[in-house]
Amino acid sequence: MLFDYMAIAVFVFFSTAIAVTAILLGGLFGPRRKSEVKSEPYESGMIPIGPGTRRMPVRFYLVAVLFILFDIEVVFFLPWAVSFRKLGLFGLIEMFIFIGILLVGYFYAWKKGALEWE
Amino acid sequence: MNFFLEPLTLLTFFPLLGVLALLFLKPEWRSAHRWTALVTSLITFGLSLWVLDQFNAASGDLQLISRRPWISVAGWDIQYYLAVDGLSILLVLLTTFLMPLSILSTWTAVEERVKDFMIFFLLLEVGMTGVFLAQDLFLFYIFWEFTLIPMYFLIGIWGGARRIYAAVKFFLYTMAGSVLMLLAILWLGVYQGTFSLPGLIDRGGIPGDIQMWLFLAFAAAFAIKVPMWPLHSWLPDAHVEAPTSGSVILAGVLLKMGAYGFLRFNLPLFPEASVRAAPWVAALAVVGILYGAIVSFAQKDVKKLVAYSSVSHLGFVMLGLFALNPQGIQGGILQMVNHGISTGALFLLVGMIYERRHTRDLEAFGGLWKVMPLYGTLTLIVALSSMGLPGLNGFVGEFTILLGAFGSQAIGSYWFAGLAAVGVILAAVYMLTMFQKMFLGPVDKDENKKLLDLNWREILILVPLLVFIFWIGLYPKPFFDLMAPAVEKLLVGF
Amino acid sequence: MTTPVKLLDFITILPVIFLAAWACLLLLVDLWVKHKRVTAYLAALGLAIGLGLLWYQAAWIGNAGFNHMVVLDGFSVFVNALLLLSGLLGIALAYGYLRRMGIERGEFYPLVLFSLSGMMLMAQAADLIVVFLSLEFLSIPLYVLTAFAYPKAASEEAGLKYFLLGAFAGGFVVYGIALVYGAAATTALDGIIAAVAEGRANLSLLVSGAALILVGLGFKVAIVPFHMWTPDAYQGAPSAVTAFMSSAAKLAGFAALVRIFALAFSSLSDDLIPILWGLSALTMLVGNLLAIPQTNIKRMLAYSSIAHAGYILMAFTAFGNPGVAEVSIAAVLFYLAAYTVTNYGAWGVVILLERAGDLGLEIGGYAGLGRKYPALAACMTIFMLSLIGLPPTLGLVGKFYLFRAVIAADLIPLAVIGVLTSLISAWYYLRVVVNMYMRTGDPEISPEPWALTITGLMAILTVLVSLLPGWLFFLASQARLNLF
Repeated sequence: MLFDYMAIAVFVFFSTAIAVTAILLGGLFGPRRKSEVKSEPYESGMIPIGPGTRRMPVRFYLVAVLFILFDIEVVFFLPWAVSFRKLGLFGLIEMFIFIGILLVGYFYAWKKGALEWE
Repeated sequence: MNFFLEPLTLLTFFPLLGVLALLFLKPEWRSAHRWTALVTSLITFGLSLWVLDQFNAASGDLQLISRRPWISVAGWDIQYYLAVDGLSILLVLLTTFLMPLSILSTWTAVEERVKDFMIFFLLLEVGMTGVFLAQDLFLFYIFWEFTLIPMYFLIGIWGGARRIYAAVKFFLYTMAGSVLMLLAILWLGVYQGTFSLPGLIDRGGIPGDIQMWLFLAFAAAFAIKVPMWPLHSWLPDAHVEAPTSGSVILAGVLLKMGAYGFLRFNLPLFPEASVRAAPWVAALAVVGILYGAIVSFAQKDVKKLVAYSSVSHLGFVMLGLFALNPQGIQGGILQMVNHGISTGALFLLVGMIYERRHTRDLEAFGGLWKVMPLYGTLTLIVALSSMGLPGLNGFVGEFTILLGAFGSQAIGSYWFAGLAAVGVILAAVYMLTMFQKMFLGPVDKDENKKLLDLNWREILILVPLLVFIFWIGLYPKPFFDLMAPAVEKLLVGF
Repeated sequence: MTTPVKLLDFITILPVIFLAAWACLLLLVDLWVKHKRVTAYLAALGLAIGLGLLWYQAAWIGNAGFNHMVVLDGFSVFVNALLLLSGLLGIALAYGYLRRMGIERGEFYPLVLFSLSGMMLMAQAADLIVVFLSLEFLSIPLYVLTAFAYPKAASEEAGLKYFLLGAFAGGFVVYGIALVYGAAATTALDGIIAAVAEGRANLSLLVSGAALILVGLGFKVAIVPFHMWTPDAYQGAPSAVTAFMSSAAKLAGFAALVRIFALAFSSLSDDLIPILWGLSALTMLVGNLLAIPQTNIKRMLAYSSIAHAGYILMAFTAFGNPGVAEVSIAAVLFYLAAYTVTNYGAWGVVILLERAGDLGLEIGGYAGLGRKYPALAACMTIFMLSLIGLPPTLGLVGKFYLFRAVIAADLIPLAVIGVLTSLISAWYYLRVVVNMYMRTGDPEISPEPWALTITGLMAILTVLVSLLPGWLFFLASQARLNLF
């Protein structure tokens, strides 16, 4: 039975091997010329100012979480829309219930002030 | 309503009425609590006499049966099953008889939290009576374990300096044995199909090696309670730390529960294993007799001395029971009663002197005979009874036991009885030494010169005990008559 | 073969649907409610209606819903009734406690309801996917509840710990389900049974899957060695949450465990019994031994709850033996009921004695309770005796039932470990009693009517039901497992 997976093992082996070889070869034979421009964090962009780990207002996290929450749930709409005809009326009602539950969360977040910046 | 009026149910649960009444009394009304408890225990004693009146001594069967299905669903057969027979009637009477006396002894000894004390005391009575009457293993186990709880509180709250240690030790030791018994009970219930003792005895047919394991599991619980050497180490601690009344009940009744358990459960349920174990039990019993006696002799604390003497006396009881012949078992049962009376009296006497002097050190006394002649006389009688002087109760019990042990096939050797007889002599040695140190010689301590002799209440406590000391000593026939048919029936299986 | 959704499908999980909907509504209503006690009463009302619906639903016992994703059988009704009652008790205990601790926030009650609906779904789950779904559904509100006392650091830490380890455990469950799917090509419990019966299943893969699911659920019910989160989470969480968590989550976890193993994996019992044997022995030993040195009552009760999971698992060890399985399941159910009653009572006392700032939680602080509050101390004594397993309490009757199953399955050594560890447990439970009655002190309680009522009621039940346990025995033995 394990033999069935041989193809995968071969695939994994070769893909790893090629990647490793490429990096190794580049490291061994590539020329190294240092210059001021090259040692900058962003070779093509502006020069960074201040420390890299800046403090962010915690509100961003809240917004991010809310975004993920509602955004991911919108993802559920897509498969539903694709098979809408097959699901029929039952599917429609189900989606209303789903949206209803979402709305509960939305109202809760709204009323609790999670949508206000201050 | 009919259910509660059945004699044994009423007898067992009557003290609960007293508990109920106590709950409604204010904590400050201390004498009301004392009187309530006393009256309750007296009525209970009256009820036990009523039971005795209805008891047919000529029959060896279970009588006055109170029986109801209790849990009979899903393959369980648990019954509420109380009954009395010749094996237990004397112990029930002993229990109800010692209760009012113990309560009287607390009259001035217990001043703190009287209400709680009396509640626990009456609850203890329910448990003890139930243990002697239950004929269903589940019911028995419930009563058996239940007695632990009030006694634990009695020692732990009203005990001496090391009371918490003693109480916890008492609890854990006794529980250690009981949990193994629980497994054995469940084994019987699962594989024999019922928890009722008579049902199990009728069924019989437990294979020999399993019998031995079950015997050992039950014996674990009972041997710790008796206590048999080498499982006795909780006893001196519990006795020394317990309040006087607790000690009386502990020695008088609780220890008997262990010996009674052997008699009621181990012998009839596991006859083959009992025969096989008899020499070993007898050996342990004899070691206990001698060990208890020798250690008693070395004690400085009077209460500890009496406690170790219990180990010795209970050794006699066990030797008698495992002689597996009529004399041995009858002597064993009678000796249980004797020990309850004599040792109970000794603890009471120790308690009385402790209340006066607040010490129990033998060295602190001396010459008390001159100061307290009445106290001395009574102590002498009780001590003589405890060591087995002919004409007093101890002699009858020990003599019958030795007789049984000599003739016992199960034990199979005269050596055991012979060595046990040495124990009788040792008992005389330590009891008389104690008496001498306390009562004879000059009154050389100032504190002892002003001691008051016994008061009326104390005399009232001791007189009933003395009556029985003489009665059993001079005319034990009625007592033997009560148990003889039941013992005969028990021995049919052997 | 899938069939279209019918009304009957909804009836099979009616209380779950109702409770979830009620919780949603409550969340909204609470936004406009000023006095949070109104929310509490509304939540309790919801639970009461849930009980009513359960009663109504009981007429349909014997049906499966949503293409055998869920079933409605005696077992699930019994467990769900216990869960709903346990929710009511939890709310009653929390009612005054939250206000006193300054954490009276309305979200508490919807969270409890959400968690409960997850638990109830778990008891009905007949498909491993539903098991996982409901596991997460019940767990996530519990994580939040554990951290409910924010900004208290201990509570937040407890919540985070519980969350991380819980998510970890969830991973085990998913992996186990994947393996089972690999072995049997289905996640439906009846499908697994059929696959095994027809010899289609890869048994070694199935056993590994079952073992991983056991690990995941073992986390939830706190079985050693998956118990590490328990003491911290129980101690850090607000006491009212801990009371709810230790009773209800354990109930649901065991319900799922029993259903999955006794039905789908009963053919694997030869491989699983040694594992369960070892786990339960270890749980009883470790739980009881580690409880001994505890000085904080919440922590002590946490270890005690671990130990009790061990006892329950002990009875369940015999699940594969067809002659014993029924007794074993009934014993588990009976003990869960007994434990719920006793546990709520004990936590009730803890809650009454707790004061803001984590005061009044040391066992030494119980000194003198017997003198000052004799009735409360008597209740606590009853609970402690019940946890040890001494008469006249439910604990004894429950243990009697558990050990019966173990002995009937001829696992005597395990039974001996069981009784000896309960002897060990006497040591630390008695310490509470020793403190209450035999030492002097001046404890202070907060006389909250609901907590007092619940504590007293539980004490009465603990004693009374132990004397007349026939009906509960009957119900537990009638609560049959089925897939239909």
